Amino acid sequence: MSGWDTVGPQLAVLVAAGLVLLVDAMLPRQRQALPYIALAGLAASAAWTASWVGRDDFHTAFGGTLSLDQYAVFFYFVFAGITAAVVLASIDWVNRAGRSQGEYYALVLVACSGLMFLSAARDLITIFLALELSSIPQYILAGWGKDQKSSEAGLKYLLLGSIASALLLYGMALLYGLTGTTILPDIAQVIQQGGDTNRGLLVVAMVLLIAGFGFKMAIVPFQMWVPDVYQGAPTPVTAFLSVGSKAAGFAVIMRIFFEALGASFLSDDWFKIFAVLAAVSMTLGNVMAIVQSDIKRMLGYSSIAQAGNFLVGVAAIAVPGHEFTLGASAVLLFVAAYAFTNLGAFIAIIAISQKIGSDEIKDYRGMWRRSPFLALALAFCLVSLTGIPPTVGFWAKMYIFNAAIRADLAWLVILGVLNAAISAYYYLGVVRQMFLSEPEDEEPIRTTPPIGISIAVATAGIFVFGVIPMPLITAAKDAVQIFAH
Amino acid sequence: MPFLAVTPSAPTISEGVIWAIIICPLAGFALCTLAVLLRSQLQRFAGYLAVATVGAAFVLAMVVLFNVIDAHGGIAVHSHTWYSAGPLKVPLGVRVDGLAAIMLSIVTSVSLLVQVYSLGYMHGDRGYGRYFAYMCLFTTSMLGLVLADNIFMIFIFWELVGLCSYLLIGFWFHRPSAAAAAKKAFVITRLGDLGFMAAIFLIWTRTGELGVAQIQAAATNGAISGTLLTLFALGIFAGAVGKSAQFPLHVWLPDAMEGPTPISALIHAATMVAAGVYLVARFYPVFEASTDAMQVVMWIGAATALIAATIALVQTDIKRVLAYSTISQLGYMVLALGGFGYVAAIFHLFTHAFFKALLFLGSGSVNHSTNTFDMRKMGGLWKRMPITFWTFVIASLSISGIFPLAGFWSKDEVLHAAWDSNHAVWVIGIVVAFMTALYMFRAVFLTFFGEYKGGQAVDHDDPDSHFEGDPAHPHEAPWTMALPLIILAIPAVLAGFANINNTFGDFIIHALPRKFEEDQGVQMMTAVISVVLALLGIAVAYVVYYKKWITSESLHSAFLPFAIVLERKYFLDDLYESLFSKRIFQGGWNRLCDLTDRYVVDGLVNGVGLVTDQLSTRIRVAATGQLQTYGAMFALGVIVVVAIIFAVNPV
Repeated sequence: MSGWDTVGPQLAVLVAAGLVLLVDAMLPRQRQALPYIALAGLAASAAWTASWVGRDDFHTAFGGTLSLDQYAVFFYFVFAGITAAVVLASIDWVNRAGRSQGEYYALVLVACSGLMFLSAARDLITIFLALELSSIPQYILAGWGKDQKSSEAGLKYLLLGSIASALLLYGMALLYGLTGTTILPDIAQVIQQGGDTNRGLLVVAMVLLIAGFGFKMAIVPFQMWVPDVYQGAPTPVTAFLSVGSKAAGFAVIMRIFFEALGASFLSDDWFKIFAVLAAVSMTLGNVMAIVQSDIKRMLGYSSIAQAGNFLVGVAAIAVPGHEFTLGASAVLLFVAAYAFTNLGAFIAIIAISQKIGSDEIKDYRGMWRRSPFLALALAFCLVSLTGIPPTVGFWAKMYIFNAAIRADLAWLVILGVLNAAISAYYYLGVVRQMFLSEPEDEEPIRTTPPIGISIAVATAGIFVFGVIPMPLITAAKDAVQIFAH
Repeated sequence: MPFLAVTPSAPTISEGVIWAIIICPLAGFALCTLAVLLRSQLQRFAGYLAVATVGAAFVLAMVVLFNVIDAHGGIAVHSHTWYSAGPLKVPLGVRVDGLAAIMLSIVTSVSLLVQVYSLGYMHGDRGYGRYFAYMCLFTTSMLGLVLADNIFMIFIFWELVGLCSYLLIGFWFHRPSAAAAAKKAFVITRLGDLGFMAAIFLIWTRTGELGVAQIQAAATNGAISGTLLTLFALGIFAGAVGKSAQFPLHVWLPDAMEGPTPISALIHAATMVAAGVYLVARFYPVFEASTDAMQVVMWIGAATALIAATIALVQTDIKRVLAYSTISQLGYMVLALGGFGYVAAIFHLFTHAFFKALLFLGSGSVNHSTNTFDMRKMGGLWKRMPITFWTFVIASLSISGIFPLAGFWSKDEVLHAAWDSNHAVWVIGIVVAFMTALYMFRAVFLTFFGEYKGGQAVDHDDPDSHFEGDPAHPHEAPWTMALPLIILAIPAVLAGFANINNTFGDFIIHALPRKFEEDQGVQMMTAVISVVLALLGIAVAYVVYYKKWITSESLHSAFLPFAIVLERKYFLDDLYESLFSKRIFQGGWNRLCDLTDRYVVDGLVNGVGLVTDQLSTRIRVAATGQLQTYGAMFALGVIVVVAIIFAVNPV
């Protein structure tokens, strides 16, 4: 077995990327087909992934650097879904930009394949390569817009991203120096044999890894880029960054911390780090979000706060001596819920800003009159972000808090609930503007079919899994079985 | 008397059919809502859509009813896990048994008739589509409440019916009185729901069970301790007191009459207010296992029946008479529950639903032609509205407990249960029976006999007035309204025969694991006394309000202190208003919140804003340094985190 079949989903996406470029170059008249080629590639990738669902045999490929397990399968679906939604939401925007359409979709697809590799990688070098494979296209995409803001966002993202990569590499080098291997389970073995003699250096390596991925996950104190880049980047790209990049960060950090750094004397340290970072991220993100007047900036800060919620789950896993998989499955459930919710919100914002040409929250006044569909959908997404039933966001938050309670992190849960209350203030503030204020401009906002469909799918997902959460929970539980001790 | 003539078996009805009962009206709700939201012309058909979907639910409910009858009242439970996280498992399932089947038939049949009636009554209203959307949502929630197999789902649907009640009482929300009534109903029932919620937490933390069957079993096999049982039962009962408008939380129900009359018939008379009684019945084994709880239930019921009946004697608004009558009859049911009369209570719930819905729809029909609910402006309508008149009289005779109408049989079972447990409560019940006949026939004579006093002139400035016709010349209701009256009159007469030979009782008794055998049926002494007293009540009403040999004014002045107490409703509303609402809430709590908001929250937000402002100003000044600052922060972050770890856990 050469292992090529284990990278089928990634290959499908990459082939689609190549096709997009070819069609763009050879058949310039057929450009309107580009997004659909991309979607077809993603569908093929998802279909390939689907053939592995429920199989509990465990593969590794390419010398143990990639693994194929239910954990990777879960994230393959998440990334394919996210990318498909972003492609659909980009169509109008890219058509209007008019230039380099092929490159845009190709970059999105390449970034997607990078994210997929990231969730399957179990070797430090592969992880780094996958990270760069996903990051570099994202740097370019962030600077895709013609305006200065977008260029500034792209440059900032690139430079800060490079710092993060440097720190990450430094951490990986330390880890390799201490253990002499780059394969995650082997690292765990060496650490286990060595005992806690090298704890000091291991902790430094660990923090460097957290810093490197913390950049992707947008957690405090590695979050400074978030508001600027979110605001400046084209909105479809922001949607991709806020969901895809973040999810990949959590996917890989959980794998590293479970498979390589799971030793008991270390997990005591990391659960404390994660718990503290969770508390700080939630609080800082929410407090800063309150005072924002730009909705993209607000969602940027809110995504920092949401990353804090994710971290509550990561901290809950790490508590020694408890049911490990509960916290891990909570994080995965939160990833899926957040993907539906944040994408739905961003796509609604794309549709609105295309018409009104503004991202100011005050320009959302009376949106209900101008487009009942978009107003309702956005309101529903914001309700889900707040964590109010009947939405999937409610179950995700409840599940993560439940896991934290089981892990004796009651203080963190209390803080989380208080933060949820704070977040309600600014999320529902937007809802209030949309429904209770009079519009300044009565002109209705029409939605194009691709955007309408993607919003409908996202909100339907939020609602259906908000009423029937078990399928998603079961999928999350199955995916984290690899962490069961 | 043979207790178990036939052994019940599990009903064979498929799970899909049971869920479909809930889903049908839900689809109606979704479609009506969509039409309203999109401001579609299809709103005009909302009424027919509602009738169709609720009609479908009615047909399915009948299928379930006959299936359960075939199974001799057996139980079928279909339970799934809705949500599980570690030890927390929230079930999602449906349960069909005799009790649920009876409730299903009541809810769907009354709901169907009320929706048909609403086609005529709400015709031309600005909120026509919205009205039927709410109605469908209410029916869905009520059916979900009845079919739920666990207390968690019951609670969700319980709150949903509360929400619908709020929305429908305040249906004409721009009328201040309607908005206030809606708020009052919502807040007061919430008080009871606190108890309900506490009961759920209590039972879950102590037993880890949420299922109806599991909780019933835990109560009967002694798995729960006595104190816990009593607390749980009282918590559940607190919820029932709020929803079923029992003393001292009954004050919201009369005000709820601000909603459209069909709503009063469906929600505030026949179904939702009976949900409290249903809830107690669902967890009846818990109550039976706690003597203290049973005593509380019985006395609250008796007090409610008496207080409400006395207030009903002096009301001048026909809907308010009916509202207090409803409270009083609910008091009967609760009293019966407290006296180990499970079958009696549910049987009375069953018959009451029909005759009380009929009375409300009759009052709506009167309103439809006179434009008023004030009985002082009516009179002499019996010739002009013969269908309304005759059906109203039938329902009044039934509720008064005149042999052999439906009310006679169920009321006498209630009194029988009272006699078996406490003679004092029985005396109260008998007195209430007399008063019931008196206030009902007072309403009949004032409304339908004597001179017609002209009704209420139409106010053409009111945008919500869709009154058609001339109040000076009242007329019979259109067929959409008259037909439900005629149909409801049938069970108002005949429903009482359902428990001859204990058929009804045997059917619902298997829904519970019971320790006690209930002595069902009519007791001759009680029957004779109550019928004689009811006839006496009618006679008094005849003398005072028809013949006017003794005028009501002279009675009023003779019993002036009593009359004032009754007209002021025992000063309960005043007490709540001035003490709780004004002093404790507005003076204390609200002021505290206001201060917190002004100084703490605003201060925090302004402070954060100020800091951010300052920060962003600085950053703007050093615009070129921004990226470097970010990079420096990044590195600093790493150092701080490492430092903290080593500070907490040194190497």
